[in-house]
Amino acid sequence: MIEDSSNRSEELRANIREILFSTEQIEERVRAMGAEISMDYAGRNPLLVGVLKGVLFFMADLLRSISIPVEVDFMAVSSYSPEARERGLVRLVKDLETPLVERHVLFVEDVVDTGLTLNYLLQNLRSRKPSSLEVCTLFNKSQHRLINIPIKYEGFELPDLFVVGYGLDYRERYRNLPFVGLLKPEAFQSGSKNIFE
Amino acid sequence: MSKSRKNHHPKFIHPSEETFARILDYYGIEWEYEPRTFPLAWDEEGNVSEAFAPDFYLPEQDLYIELTTLRPELTNRKNRKMRRMQELYPSINVKLFKRRDIRNLMVKYGLDQQAQRIAGTEAQEDQ
Repeated sequence: MIEDSSNRSEELRANIREILFSTEQIEERVRAMGAEISMDYAGRNPLLVGVLKGVLFFMADLLRSISIPVEVDFMAVSSYSPEARERGLVRLVKDLETPLVERHVLFVEDVVDTGLTLNYLLQNLRSRKPSSLEVCTLFNKSQHRLINIPIKYEGFELPDLFVVGYGLDYRERYRNLPFVGLLKPEAFQSGSKNIFE
Repeated sequence: MSKSRKNHHPKFIHPSEETFARILDYYGIEWEYEPRTFPLAWDEEGNVSEAFAPDFYLPEQDLYIELTTLRPELTNRKNRKMRRMQELYPSINVKLFKRRDIRNLMVKYGLDQQAQRIAGTEAQEDQ
């Protein structure tokens, strides 16, 4: 059984062309972010809100690096796809369980890219009247930003590349890699054709 | 110029523009299609000899977006136009989404067929 899962891990790693952020680099940065948040939010009992699923790994590590009392909640939102589009606009598919009124909310993201999803979610959260609402992201991909959103805590600036690992996926795979890397071109397949050739 | 209308899109020049418009619609972002043409060069008689009309304008962001599916080796003219835009209109915000950017966006949203179509595009007329 152990051998089997090890083989699968090797299969995922075999599709990685280059590691951009190592496990150690990520750990160190997340620890520093946690320390900063602990100082800024001392005595304010912050609520960390994440949007599933990519943020899972970062959220878990960030929470453990925060030294003050803190609460956590998650939401999920429908992503764009031709099928989702037929059903109308973007919508929440899982809402928070925690009321936000007069709470200090820190919205935690794995990566902020165009800002389209984040913009929708922040508008939604603002309407619930929190005392404060700030954004924390591990990766910032600012080159493609369409919506200007202030980010209070940022881990790394992400190059203009399609990356996977540490929560980031391609077709729901590679999230469980403990680092962030670039996929080999042949890993991007649509039918029998390579999308990235 | 055409404004965002969820069920009535303007006639787009390239399919990637239509996909982009649909993504903006989905997230409730207001957009306009080619709302403004910026003169970039003039002949001796003062007539406009070169101009640039970015594909999209996002009024709430005051941001123009230009999409190009040209292969990198064919984008020299587009890059020069972008540089000229910055020289002549420094207060205008324009972002260029290149072939790879558009393809990454399509892959991100699970639009593999559209991404594949871009990968298969040899060239698009540089406008």
